[in-house]
Amino acid sequence: MNKGFKWILWGILIVVLIVYPRLFGIYYTNILVEFGIFALYAISVNLLLGYTGLLTFGHAIFFGVGGYSTALALTHIQGLPLLASLLIGFLSAVLFALILCPMVVRLSGTAFAMLHLAFGLLMYVVTLKLRGITGGEDGIGGFPIPPFSIPGIVSIDMTDPLMFYYFAMIVLVICISFLWFFTKTPFGQIMVGIRDNADRIDYVGFKVSHSKALIYIFAGGFAGVAGSIFALFQNLVSADEFSVLNSFAPIMIIMVGGIASFFGPIFGAGIFALIAELTSRYTERVELVMGLILILVIMYAPMGFLGLVNMARARFFNKEGAS
Amino acid sequence: MNILETRGLTHDFEGLKVITGVDLQVAEGERHAIIGPNGAGKTTLFNLITGTYTPKGGKVIFKNKDVTGARPHQMVRLGMGRSFQITSTFSRLTAFQNIRMAVLSKRGIRFNIFRFVDKMDDVTRETDEILKRINLDGERNIPASGLSYGKSRSLEISMALATDPEVVMLDEPTAGMSVDETHYAVGLIQRLTEGKTMVIIEHDMDVVFSLADRITVLHHGEILASGAPGEIRKNPKVKEAYLGEMEI
Repeated sequence: MNKGFKWILWGILIVVLIVYPRLFGIYYTNILVEFGIFALYAISVNLLLGYTGLLTFGHAIFFGVGGYSTALALTHIQGLPLLASLLIGFLSAVLFALILCPMVVRLSGTAFAMLHLAFGLLMYVVTLKLRGITGGEDGIGGFPIPPFSIPGIVSIDMTDPLMFYYFAMIVLVICISFLWFFTKTPFGQIMVGIRDNADRIDYVGFKVSHSKALIYIFAGGFAGVAGSIFALFQNLVSADEFSVLNSFAPIMIIMVGGIASFFGPIFGAGIFALIAELTSRYTERVELVMGLILILVIMYAPMGFLGLVNMARARFFNKEGAS
Repeated sequence: MNILETRGLTHDFEGLKVITGVDLQVAEGERHAIIGPNGAGKTTLFNLITGTYTPKGGKVIFKNKDVTGARPHQMVRLGMGRSFQITSTFSRLTAFQNIRMAVLSKRGIRFNIFRFVDKMDDVTRETDEILKRINLDGERNIPASGLSYGKSRSLEISMALATDPEVVMLDEPTAGMSVDETHYAVGLIQRLTEGKTMVIIEHDMDVVFSLADRITVLHHGEILASGAPGEIRKNPKVKEAYLGEMEI
């Protein structure tokens, strides 16, 4: 693909995102926002899972921490600007990642996954119990959503779903682009090296634990951003965000979309959003359909949707599919 | 002057003594072979020196510094490279990416998250030069897992050398190679390690005698003899240890 073609594709994508709400109305616009949030969330998990080879059953910790800290900040701090609340979500998640780092960076495999399951459950229970702060089962809702404002220049009302859509999309696209760039840097190479052969990374001269820590902080921080936007979007946070299901959701999204590619989770999030929308017209058992699809994918297309696309491309053009 | 030394190095695995009081001395620029029957502790000795294990007793001195218990990445940064008996490359990365990993490390590019790695032209150029030198430029974009055995061994050895170490530790570089491949590998090692200190574990006596100018014989975790190839050949203790096992 040449450069010009790529820019044209980007241009089309941006135009589509801009006109989308006018074409499909606010209901489908909100679905797109949710899709975008989960795409970012799944990509942050895929930094660990697909790139570094670390399976985590507790990434909802960071999603939840991001959401709760944004909600708490907006509830308790009068006149907090929108971007500051988002930044608080990000930084809290980073802080949590920093706290967990020393414990988890020396682990991998089952120990890594299970320890996160335990931390996730702990966060869930603590959130339910600390009613005074977190609102227990009710969560925190109805906090003020500040307008997006640059003093003296512009102030955009974020309670307007259309405006919030534009704001969310800009933030999400920036975050996803940044993470994409992150995987293309020299450090991104070290990530995949750790996945392939952590011992050799050590023997090439990189410190594995420090490198893992940096990846972990990025993965945590950006899951926090996703959680933070989710909180603003729903104007509500609840303990469910820390639930095991919310930790598994990104893993399922990654598996369905394609673990071996940066863009796999985006497709996975799209597929899940589509299925959720279609099945909810007929039944409330959305998870049942999702589970079935996950089983089919694992059995017949272990590299996910993008794996299928690459296979088809290889067959059509009779050449190696892009890795 | 000795660039690498071990003093009374001792190690055991839950009571099973593997290395007992090994005093290895490697002079700068030397090509030092470590031989010995299976289970003599050769690879364990390598693991103790390069940082895989922390020795239970004794010292490792590298470039006049006590490096006992240093981690592998610290040893690499001090100037030690190591290859493995069982090929240990990044299987899903291409030959190019494998070598580039070592080149990045050599240049101290560790936490760089501000530039596209593919656009670092000097890194790319240096990596391509290495690939050419080891005759892997034709396989540049093939994943390491897709290389032939001989080629993947070349890659393994070259990764140890691509960080430009002063001391190279090669653990049976020709293990499992055919006669032709071995011949090629010996030439490659000679070419790449020119001017460097080399410590090599090897079973193939032809390889040992064509590469080494000093030999240490390890037996039951102890040094049985150490000296020039000619002396080792004549040493009665060595003959006894091998007792018909090997023709030396």
